Amino acid sequence: MKKLMPLGLCVLLFSLVLSACGGNNEKPAANGNTNAAVTNAPANTATEEPVTIKFMHFKSDFTDQIAKIVEQFETENPNIKVEVQPVKYDDYYTLLKTKLAGGDVIDVFTLNAGFNTQLFADGGYLADLTGQPFLNNFDDNVVKGQATNGKNYIMPLNANPIAVFYNKKIFKDLGLEVPRTYDAMIAAAEKIKAAGKTPFALGWKDGWTLTMWNTRDMPSISALVDGQPDFFEKIETGAAKFADNPAVRTTIEHAQQMFELGNKDQLGVDYNGVVDLFAKGNVGMMYMGTWPLPDIEKKNPDLYNNDLGYFPYPFSNDESLNNLDFNADASLAIGSNTKHKEAAIKFLDYMSSKEGGDAWVENIKSLSYVKGTSTDIAPAIKDLQPYFDNGQTYDSQLYLAKTTIDWRAQFDQNLQNLFFKKTTPDKIIADMDAWLSKNHK
Amino acid sequence: MGNLKQAMRKEMWYLLFILPGICLFVMAVVIPLIMGARYSFTNWDGVSNTFASIGWDNYVQAFQDPGFWEALWNTFKYALILTILVNVISLLLALVLDSFLPFRNIFRTIFFLPSVISIVLSGFIWSYNYSTGIPTLLSHLGLDVTSPLGNPDYALFGLILVALWQGVGAPMIIYIAGLQGIPNELHESAKIDGAGSGKAFWYITLPLLAPSVTINLLLVLTGSLKVFDLVYVTTKGGPGFSTEVVSTYIYRTSFSSFKGGYGMALSMMFFLILVVVTVVQMSISRRREVEM
Repeated sequence: MKKLMPLGLCVLLFSLVLSACGGNNEKPAANGNTNAAVTNAPANTATEEPVTIKFMHFKSDFTDQIAKIVEQFETENPNIKVEVQPVKYDDYYTLLKTKLAGGDVIDVFTLNAGFNTQLFADGGYLADLTGQPFLNNFDDNVVKGQATNGKNYIMPLNANPIAVFYNKKIFKDLGLEVPRTYDAMIAAAEKIKAAGKTPFALGWKDGWTLTMWNTRDMPSISALVDGQPDFFEKIETGAAKFADNPAVRTTIEHAQQMFELGNKDQLGVDYNGVVDLFAKGNVGMMYMGTWPLPDIEKKNPDLYNNDLGYFPYPFSNDESLNNLDFNADASLAIGSNTKHKEAAIKFLDYMSSKEGGDAWVENIKSLSYVKGTSTDIAPAIKDLQPYFDNGQTYDSQLYLAKTTIDWRAQFDQNLQNLFFKKTTPDKIIADMDAWLSKNHK
Repeated sequence: MGNLKQAMRKEMWYLLFILPGICLFVMAVVIPLIMGARYSFTNWDGVSNTFASIGWDNYVQAFQDPGFWEALWNTFKYALILTILVNVISLLLALVLDSFLPFRNIFRTIFFLPSVISIVLSGFIWSYNYSTGIPTLLSHLGLDVTSPLGNPDYALFGLILVALWQGVGAPMIIYIAGLQGIPNELHESAKIDGAGSGKAFWYITLPLLAPSVTINLLLVLTGSLKVFDLVYVTTKGGPGFSTEVVSTYIYRTSFSSFKGGYGMALSMMFFLILVVVTVVQMSISRRREVEM
């Protein structure tokens, strides 16, 4: 009898736990009943039941700022609570993939237009947003540009110019002009080096900084100089080879030149390190999107307000080709398995309103796709205004939009070997083609 | 007979207590292992819901994959160097800290402290140390150094140093415990017989410490063969594949190249390799142990 006591206790505890779960399950049902009973009276109480939606995003550098935007949304929609989960970009897609494949519900999440969206749309994880009224708040071209197989699974949100920051003071002291061709940029960099300063802040310890540069340099040259706009579409199926595209060799040469003109310890310093370095004012140029602006403002307001310039990255030696690279950044998608689609759509509605768009511009320091939002985010951005006004922008990422195989990581590692003279451009191209023959679809 | 039955009943009662442990082990290890083994025979891309069985193709491909063998070579280089260094250094520390040293408890705490922080954190700390802290410090002495993690020739050794810094604490504690288990009389009688401290260490301390050596070699070796977090937060396998270990290679294959099935096959092969290494190592070091 004594022995049965603990066993009995265990059973009791277990059943308590179970019944607690059961109790939880019953609650909504009970609520449903009461709602059903009063539907004849005020009908809207049923829809106004408070809901919580999950929002996962990859702008973890702006965790606080995004929380602020979400707070604005919550005060306007008191019945919707948003649970925000910021994830570092490097890990974002892995986490998202794992969560979705594991059956987790994420109501709203950010995606990049292009191959990432394609992949999740193909997997059936995205709700179809085609024809939703909030898409009218955007330019038709943008909405079409971000469509996947003719359908809209994502709502465009913000966009970033990716260009070269430069230190106007250094340029003025050395009598340098803003370079409009690649050779002119390298010549300027060499003069900066001769003057004892650092020409380029690279920060290639982080994977994405090097990737960001070469996945813009190579497609731009490939499509606009060498006339192979469909090169990356072809490598997806193995229809093209790296050896057949002269742009690959050009990019490898560019990488080597930039590495040699970079800061000390190019592969040991990360993004934060180079932003620090650049903000100290001893670096000539830094290839980057607009995201370090708040950091630079904080670290060196004088540089930020007076001496910070921004020019389109000249990937070629033909001035007329070197337009401003203007890329979509985050877009919003709704999970196809969401239980709160209405609330999720309200969230997207808000983000596509002028108010929401302005909130993004103001807090994230990036440009919004929402029509009529402000572009005044930093003094340096004014340098780019002529390119926007004259329509001299393009999106290098569209050339990569249909490629899902990850040639980037392989290419990056090969470049790193090249920097330390462990390989040659010919060997890189051979290795890339060997890799491609195993990995294309 | 009745006696046996009663005994059985008594013992069965204790079995109940390992039930939660077994449940967790089955759910967290056995079931995923079986599911993974099943996926390793498919061409699953890691995301989609549809995939087809392709037999042994993944395993055939793995044997011909130079990237996998290179990663395996890096892993063993890392693990062997680390295992030897960690054990030598932690044994030396244990010998010093087991003797009558003033403040020895404080020193034990200091050497153990790095083991307390998470690997991810120490990875970030050392990335910063290597790229900013140490160069700035040494620049005051007129030396110009760069981060070893940014150079393919030194990156692996840079990682070994971090793992060493963090890894000596736990084996040191085990060695100290082992040393304290050795009866003092043995040393005293050896001294009377005229054995020097070197001889006493070789013929008394080391054989009696063999169980600790076995467990430490095993723990450090298997732990370092499976290294992932440290590499992932510091170098991600770069620069130039120089720190690509098996686990990061598997991760990259499964999640960046969307080859879930192939990644699973690599995991299965790596699992078998680990089992073989463990069994071989256990049998070698068990032979050296002495019963007291």
